[in-house]
Amino acid sequence: MSAPSSRQASRGRKVAIALVLIVLLLPFLWLLQMSFKSNDLILQFPPPLIFTPTLANYTSLWQSAFSASFVNSLLSASFSTAFALLFGVPAAYALSRWAGRGKRALSFAILVTRMAPPIAFTIPFFLFYRWIGLLDTVTGLVLIYTSFNLPLVIWMMQPFFATVPPSLEEAAPADGAATRTVLLKIVLPMVAPGIAAAAILCFLYAWNDFFFALILTRTSARTAPVAVVNFMNYEGWEWGKIAAGGSLVMAPVLIFSLAVRRYLVSGLTAGAVKG
Amino acid sequence: MTDEGLLDAERRRFNRWALTPSLIILFLIAVVPALYLLAASFTPFQLTTPGSATDFSKPLRNYRLLPGDPRFVNSLFVQAKLSFWGVLFQVLFGMLLALLLNVQSRFVEFARTFFLIPMVLPPIVVAVIWKLIYTPDISPLYYAAGLLNVTLPSLTSSVDFALMSIIIADTWEWLPFTFLMVLAALQTIPDEFAEAARVDGANRLQIFYYITLPFIAPILLVSAMFRLIDSVKAFPLIFLLTGGGPGSVTEVTNYYAYLLAFDTNEIGYSSAVTVVMLLLVAAISLGLVWMGRYREVSA
Repeated sequence: MSAPSSRQASRGRKVAIALVLIVLLLPFLWLLQMSFKSNDLILQFPPPLIFTPTLANYTSLWQSAFSASFVNSLLSASFSTAFALLFGVPAAYALSRWAGRGKRALSFAILVTRMAPPIAFTIPFFLFYRWIGLLDTVTGLVLIYTSFNLPLVIWMMQPFFATVPPSLEEAAPADGAATRTVLLKIVLPMVAPGIAAAAILCFLYAWNDFFFALILTRTSARTAPVAVVNFMNYEGWEWGKIAAGGSLVMAPVLIFSLAVRRYLVSGLTAGAVKG
Repeated sequence: MTDEGLLDAERRRFNRWALTPSLIILFLIAVVPALYLLAASFTPFQLTTPGSATDFSKPLRNYRLLPGDPRFVNSLFVQAKLSFWGVLFQVLFGMLLALLLNVQSRFVEFARTFFLIPMVLPPIVVAVIWKLIYTPDISPLYYAAGLLNVTLPSLTSSVDFALMSIIIADTWEWLPFTFLMVLAALQTIPDEFAEAARVDGANRLQIFYYITLPFIAPILLVSAMFRLIDSVKAFPLIFLLTGGGPGSVTEVTNYYAYLLAFDTNEIGYSSAVTVVMLLLVAAISLGLVWMGRYREVSA
C-alpha cells in the first residue's frame, strides 16, 4: 500500500489472491480429477498427486442411456434459444424505438418470471402438459425454456439496440426500404455481439435447468442434469461415473462462459443464468 | 407529408408484427399460470380424485389448514434460517473478496473469471460436487479432518449440521454473485478520495469505514435483496444432499410444496403453500423495486 496508487497490486496480494482462488475452486477440481480415476484410486487416501488418468468412466457413461439424455439437453437448449431469439429480437428492437403500453407489461413479465420460484409455474405447466400430452417430450421442454428465455432476450437486447444511432435507420426508409429490411440489413449486423451473448445465456439457462426437467420428463425426454441424479440413485455409488457425468454436464457451460467473458458479467449480475 | 404518414403507418405495422407474439407468450407464462395456481389453491385437488380440480365448495379450506400445519410453519422457519445465514455469508465474503481483488493488474483480471466458476456451474453439478465433499469415504474434507485427529460427524444426515452443510454449499455457489456486484461498485470510486484521506493521515480501516463503505452500501443492500429472493428457490442442493431431512430439518417451503404436489399428490394444498410463498417473494421484490425508485430520486 506504499505504492503511489492504492490500485496497484503488491506481490503479497497476488499470492493471497492465488491462494484464495485455489481454496475456493478445490471442491470443483476434486470432482474433475475424480472423473479421471478408477474406483479403487478414488477410495485411496492420501490421494496420489500423480496418477495415470483413465477415460474409462467417460466411455462407459457414454455407452449407457446417458448419451441420449445429453442429446435431449442439447436439443431442448438449442431450439429454445433459437425460438427465443426469433421472437425476442424483433420485439426488443420495436420496444427500443417505441415507448408504448407494451413496456409496462414487459417489465412486469420479466419481474414475474425472474422472481417467482419455479414451483409456481411447474404445477400449472405439469397439469397442462398432462392434459395435452406434452409430458416427457422434448417439445414440452422447448416450449417452457422458450417462454422463460424470451423476457431475457428482450431485456438483454434493448440496450444493444439503443446504441445504434437512429440516423442510420432514418436514411434508409427514404429510399423506400421497409422497417423489416432496415432491421435485417443494417441494425442486426451492428448488434451481432449482443445477439451472441443473449444466445449463449439462453442456452445456459435451458442447459442448467434441473427443476422443470425433473418434473416434466420421465424417461424418453430426460435431460443430462436429471440423468446424473438418476444415475446416483439407481446405479449404486459408482463415484467415478458420477464425477464423469457431472463433468460432462458442466463442460459446455464452462466453455461458453470463457468464450463470452465480456458479456457474462452483465448477464450474471442480472441473475440470468440460473433460475 | 403523405410520405411521412406512410412511413409511420409502416412503422406501426412493423411494431405490431414484432411485439404481438412476444406479448402473447409473456401473458401466457406470467399471468395464466398465476391465475390457475390461485384457482387450484381454492380446491382440494388431488390427481387421483376425479372432480376435485373444480370443487370450489370450500374455497378457503387449504388456507385455514396452513397455520395449524406444523410442517408448513417449520418450513418457514427453516427458510428464514437458510436465507439469513446464506445471505449474510455471501454478502460478507463476497465483499471481502471484492476488496482483495480491487486492484489493477493483468493477473488479477485473468484470475477474476475463474472466481466466477461456482455460479456458472449447473446447480445440479454444484450439488454433486458437495455430495462428494460430504461423503466420508471419498471426501478430502474428512481425510483432512482425520489428519488433524478430528472426527467429523456425517454432516448432511446430522440434525445439528444438515442445514449448515446446505448453507455452506449455497454460499460457495453464490459468493461470486455478490463479489461481482461489489467489485463493480468499488471500481466506480474515484481514487482521489482515498488519496486525500491518506494525506490527511487516515489508516486503512478508517478509509474503508468512511469512504469505501458508504459508496458500496447501496450495492450491498441490492445484492442482499437479490440473493434473498433467490434463496427461496434453493432446490437442487436440498434435493440431492439432504432430501429435506433428517426429519424436516432442511425442509424449506419450496421443497415442502414440491413434495406435496409431486410426491403426495396434494395439488390443491401445494398450490395454497405456493401462493403464500409467492406473496412473500412479491413483497420482497416490491421492496427492491421501491428501493430502486428511491435511489433514482435521491441520486
